[in-house]
Amino acid sequence: MIDRIRFVLHETWESLLRNATMQAAAISTACIALILLGGAGMALYKLDAAAQALPSHFEAEVFLKMSATRAQALQLQAELESWQEVERVTLTPREVAWEEQKQKLAADVNLADMPNPLPDKLTVRVRDPEQLPAVAERIQQSPLVDEVIDSRAELQTVLSLSRLVRWIGLGAGGLLLLAALILIYNTVRLTIFSRQREVRVMALVGATLRSIRLPFILEGMTQGLVGGALAATITLLAAAFLSEYMTQQWAFLRDLPPGMPPLAVLVGLPTLGALMGGLCAWWATLRYVRI
Amino acid sequence: MALVELKQVSVVYGEQSALRRVSLCVERGEFVFLVGATGAGKSTLFKLLYGEARPTEGEVWVLGQPVHRLKPRELPFLRRQMGVVPQDYPLLPRKTVWENIAYGLRAIGYNESAVRKRVAQVLALVGLNEQARQLPSQLSGGEAQRAAIARAIANNPPLLIADEPTANLDPDTSWEIIELLLRINLRGATVIVSTHNRMIVDRACQRVVAMDRGQILSDVPRGGYPVELDRLYATVLL
Repeated sequence: MIDRIRFVLHETWESLLRNATMQAAAISTACIALILLGGAGMALYKLDAAAQALPSHFEAEVFLKMSATRAQALQLQAELESWQEVERVTLTPREVAWEEQKQKLAADVNLADMPNPLPDKLTVRVRDPEQLPAVAERIQQSPLVDEVIDSRAELQTVLSLSRLVRWIGLGAGGLLLLAALILIYNTVRLTIFSRQREVRVMALVGATLRSIRLPFILEGMTQGLVGGALAATITLLAAAFLSEYMTQQWAFLRDLPPGMPPLAVLVGLPTLGALMGGLCAWWATLRYVRI
Repeated sequence: MALVELKQVSVVYGEQSALRRVSLCVERGEFVFLVGATGAGKSTLFKLLYGEARPTEGEVWVLGQPVHRLKPRELPFLRRQMGVVPQDYPLLPRKTVWENIAYGLRAIGYNESAVRKRVAQVLALVGLNEQARQLPSQLSGGEAQRAAIARAIANNPPLLIADEPTANLDPDTSWEIIELLLRINLRGATVIVSTHNRMIVDRACQRVVAMDRGQILSDVPRGGYPVELDRLYATVLL
């Protein structure tokens, strides 16, 4: 058994060393396919994370009636904070809001002598953005509340966008995966054609189909593994460079959630490459290695 | 029971008939020449014996096994009991003579010490000890053919099939190859050799089965030579 394993591994290793051009073709094919897949995966992961994070920025702004006292405002704040759906409630006192407003408009208008027209405001953040409309309606029923602005139309748009990004990600990822599989399959098929002599000799001396196919499958896995490792390195370097460049150009990008963890890329792409290489080689040997 | 038996075998490729109702019986220990011009059906008949071709009709029995009924996964175990010297690609070009012979043995599961022992024995038998570390490209035509025969007999099979082993060889080298096959036959193996080289058939004085257009024209037993063969050569082997 050990001699058998050694024979299969030796044949795989020799083939990897001897057919350098074919190996370069197979590894670069796997590498390019996995860069496309990995790059698209990382970009979609980031987009999806950003789309998922956006709804959490949506909050309900609760404007109290002018007649509401500060004590009533604080009481309402405490009551809202006790609700299970509510994560946080912030009170913006009317005098603070008015000062901010005056400073903001100072260049255009002199508001110094005007009486303060602003009411106290509560900013309510919910745990699940989907619950925001229901919470807003409930708050609206309080006699202290004048108006609730919950941006539900914008929220719906963002939620739809988030779902769309996920579907596009799945669709594009699936297509790229299929393209990568076909590319690798085709390369393994060419490798088999270039080694028809070995296949025929093994078949004539009485080697079983399994022992003829196994070196090809191991070879495909190795090509996928090496291609995947190269792809992971290139993708991570490119992502780091691009990310650095883009955040320098557009500062708001710094607020986006972090991208895919590098370890996931470093482990994921070579593993995916090995699996794809093995699968394609197995598929090609089923069709082209006969005895 | 005969070692090889074909019963009314036909092989049709598309609309082309490669073999037509061929029956043949080869007993254990025989040496048989299969002669005929290119396209006579010799290679197809050989492929039937090791299961690379399937009969359209009829039965093929080799070493007591019904090859026409064997499943692909059963063929390797039949092939381990026969040695095949193919006409095309007899040796792996990037392996030395030693590695070529060892390759066949390793592929069927021999352990390393058995491989070393058997390779040394067959190298001595075919007279290629000195060329053991050479690549096929460094060998003469005769040496390459002997190396291919060495690989075929490495696991000591009771049946050896050689498809045109003297093709492209000069007369002296061709005879050396036939002498080697005769020696293997004397050691107990049944040998079937295809050729269209009249000189070696004349000189070897063994059984001769002549084929033409997918049919067996004549089957001249050992000693039935040479009157019938003269007539045969005039019609089949030009």
